[in-house]
Amino acid sequence: MHLEYTPEQQAFRAEVRAWMEAHVPKEPLVTLECREGYDQHVEWERTLASGNWGMVTWPEAYGGRGLDLIQWLIFEEEYFRAGGPNRANQNGIFLLGPTIMEFGTEEQKARFLPPMARGEVIWAQAWSEPGAGSDMAAIQSKAVRDGDHYVITGQKTWSSRAAFADWGFGIFRTDPDSKRHKGLTFILFDLNSPGITRRPIRQLHGDTGFAELFFDEVRVPVENCLAGEGEGWNVAMATAGFERGLMLRSPGRFQATAKRLVELYRAHEAEAPPAAREAVVQAWMQAQAYAWNTYAVAARIMAGGKIGAEASLNKIFWSELDRAMHRTAMQILGAHAELKRFGNGQINQWLEGYIFSLSGPIYAGSNEVQRNIIAERLLGLPRVGAG
Amino acid sequence: MDFRFTDDQLTLAETVRDYLAGTHGPEVLRRLDSEGNRDPAIWQGLVDMGLTALLVPEEHGGLGLGLVEAALIATECGRACLAEPLVDTAFVAVPWLVRRGETAELGAIAAGTRKVALPHVLNPWVADGADEFPGQLLQSVDPLRNLVMFPASGSADPHLLDLGALMSAAQLVGLAEAMLHQATEYAKVRTQFGQPVGAFQGLKHQLASCAVAVEFAKPALWRAAGALECLSSNASVHVSHAKVMATDAAIQTAETAIQVHGAMGYTYEVDLHFWMKRAWALAGAWGDRACHLKRIDQAVIGGTLPIGPEHTFA
Ligand SMILES: Cc1cc2nc3c(=O)[nH]c(=O)nc-3n(C[C@H](O)[C@H](O)[C@H](O)COP(=O)(O)OP(=O)(O)OC[C@H]3O[C@@H](n4cnc5c(N)ncnc54)[C@H](O)[C@@H]3O)c2cc1C
Repeated sequence: MHLEYTPEQQAFRAEVRAWMEAHVPKEPLVTLECREGYDQHVEWERTLASGNWGMVTWPEAYGGRGLDLIQWLIFEEEYFRAGGPNRANQNGIFLLGPTIMEFGTEEQKARFLPPMARGEVIWAQAWSEPGAGSDMAAIQSKAVRDGDHYVITGQKTWSSRAAFADWGFGIFRTDPDSKRHKGLTFILFDLNSPGITRRPIRQLHGDTGFAELFFDEVRVPVENCLAGEGEGWNVAMATAGFERGLMLRSPGRFQATAKRLVELYRAHEAEAPPAAREAVVQAWMQAQAYAWNTYAVAARIMAGGKIGAEASLNKIFWSELDRAMHRTAMQILGAHAELKRFGNGQINQWLEGYIFSLSGPIYAGSNEVQRNIIAERLLGLPRVGAG
Repeated sequence: MDFRFTDDQLTLAETVRDYLAGTHGPEVLRRLDSEGNRDPAIWQGLVDMGLTALLVPEEHGGLGLGLVEAALIATECGRACLAEPLVDTAFVAVPWLVRRGETAELGAIAAGTRKVALPHVLNPWVADGADEFPGQLLQSVDPLRNLVMFPASGSADPHLLDLGALMSAAQLVGLAEAMLHQATEYAKVRTQFGQPVGAFQGLKHQLASCAVAVEFAKPALWRAAGALECLSSNASVHVSHAKVMATDAAIQTAETAIQVHGAMGYTYEVDLHFWMKRAWALAGAWGDRACHLKRIDQAVIGGTLPIGPEHTFA
C-alpha cells in the first residue's frame, strides 16, 4: 500500500488541471438530452479532442495517450473538479471502444476508434427492444444475410442519444431458428442508413434523451459485424461488464456531487431537516469509499487482475448513492425543490440530477438484476427457479 | 499510488485465517461459552504464531510490522469471533505504548506473558481488565466478553481511541463477512416449498445488499489503517469513517443473517448468535456511531478536511 502520487502523477494532474481550467465552459451547457444541448456537448467532445483528452487510456495509435488507470483516475478527478460536462460519446468511448479493442479486427480498430476518440462520430447503444429489456435474450430484431450484407428488420428502443447520434451498435438475431442467447450477432450500423426511422422519446424531464429505432430492411455490410456471426451474446456480456465496471461512472462524478451537497447543506443549515445532516455526511463517506474501491480495483487490474461479477456491486453502489445524494438535496431545498429555475434564473441542477438519478438503478442492467448476479455468481446461491 | 496489499501481507492474513479456521471453529466458541470463556491453550497458539509480537519493534523482540498488517489480522479475528484479548493487547495497547515510548513491558507482551487492557473514557467498561482494575464486573450480551466497570483513571487520548476504533472496525468487517457466509450457506441447504430458500429473490436480494455494504466498508478500513500507520493528519477522520461503515455493514448483515435463518436464527443452537453479539458489542466500543459521525461531520461539514474529487487521498 503506497498512498502517495509520484512526481510524474502530480505533474500530470497539474497539466490536466491547467487545461481544464482554461477550457471547461464557464456556464453549464444546456442538457445533453435535447438538440441544442447535444450540439453543445458534441462541440465540447471536439474541444477535448483538440487537447488530446478524448480517451486517455487508449493507445496513441487510436487517438489516446496510452496512459494507465491511475492516470485515468487523476484525469477524471480533475475533469469533475473543473465541472466538465457529461460525455456525449460515453457509450462509444466507455462501452463500444473497449469492446472493439477486445473483439475487433485490426481494420475495425483503425476504422472506428480514432474518429470515436476525436468525437467525430457519436455512438448510440441499441440493445433493448420493447419486449427485451432486462431479458435481453428475448431479442427479436433480425439480421438476414444477403451476399456481403445483412438486412436488418425490427425495432430497438430506449437508445440513449439515438435521436441525434451518428452510429449505433446493436445485437440482432442472425439465426432465425435460434432461441435465447444463441444465434445473436453484434453489428455496427450508420444511423443515417436508408430504412432506419428514429422516433425520439420524451423522457421523465420532458426532453428527448433516448429514441426508438425502426429498421425496415436496412442493409449493413458484413464487415460491420464484430467478432463473428453468432457471437453476439458473448460480446454483449463483455460490453455490459465495461458498463458496470470501472469506466462508465468514475468516482470523480460522485465526489463532485457530494461536495456540492455539503456546500448546499452549509448554505441551508438553519432550515434543513435534521436527518439531512447525517445524509450529507453519508454522501461524502460513500463517495470516498467508492473512490478508494476504484483505486483498489485499478491497482489489481494493473497487476493483471480482472473485474468480473464484482462489477455488479459497483453498479448498485454508485446508482443508489447518486439517488440518495440528490434526494437529500431535494429535501434540503424544500419548497424550492420543484422549481426548474430558481428565482434568480439559475437552473435547478439538483432537480435535473434527481430526475436523472432515478434512471441509474434501471439502466446498465437494473439493480434487481445486479442483485441476482451477486447472489448467484458471487455468493453461489441457486439460480432463480432452481429446485 | 498503489492501493493494494503486498503479497506478504496477503499471505500473512491467509495464514492466520487458515489457522483460526482450523483451530477455532464454532465448537470452540460453544465450549468456551459453557466452560469459562478463556483458554490458555488458545492464547498460546496465538503467541506461537507470533501475533502478540506483531507490532512490537524488533529491538524489543517483536516483528516490527505495522497497523495495516494488524488490521488485516484483526479482520481475521472478527471472522473467527476470537474471544482471547489479542486485538486489545497486541494491536491497540502495543502501538499506543510504543508511541508513548513506554517500552518496559513490550518484551513480555511479545512473549505472551503479559496482557494489557487499557481503559478509555469513552468506554464505560474495560474488556479483559479485571486483573488490572478490580471492580464491579459487568455482563455483556456477548457471552465471550469479560467486562469490568470503567475505573476512575482512564485515558482520554484520541490516539488510543483511534487505535481501538480502527481495530474494532477491522473486526466488524470480519464479523460481517462471516455472518454473510453463514447466512448464505444456510440458505443453500434449508429447503421450503421444495427448493432451497436461497433460491427466493426475497432472500437473495437482502444478502446481495449485505455484500454491497461489506464490499465498500473494506476500502474505508484499509484507507484508515494506511492513514493511522503513517500518522497522517486526517487519520482520525478516516478511522471514524471506517468505524461507521464497518458498524453499519455488520449490523445490517447481522439482521439479515438472522432473518435468513428463520426461527433457527433466534435460537442459541445456531452459532450465528456469537458473531451477532460481538458485532453489537463492538458497534458501541471505542466510540459509538454518534461519536464517530460527529468527528466526520466536523471535518466534512465543518470544513477542516479538503473535499472533492481532487482530494481522494486527503
Ligand atoms: C435513462 C435510460 C437510458 C437507457 N439507455 C439505453 C441505451 O442506450 N441502449 C439500450 O439498449 N437500452 C437503454 N436503456 C434501457 C435499459 O437497458 C432497460 O431499461 C433495462 O435493461 C431494463 O429493462 P426494462 O426497462 O424493459 O425493464 P423490465 O425488464 O421490464 O423490468 C421492470 C422491473 O422488473 C424488474 N425485473 C426484471 N427482471 C427481473 C428479474 N429477473 N429479477 C428481478 N426483477 C426483475 C426490473 O428490475 C424492473 O424493476 C436505457 C434506460 C434508461 C432508463
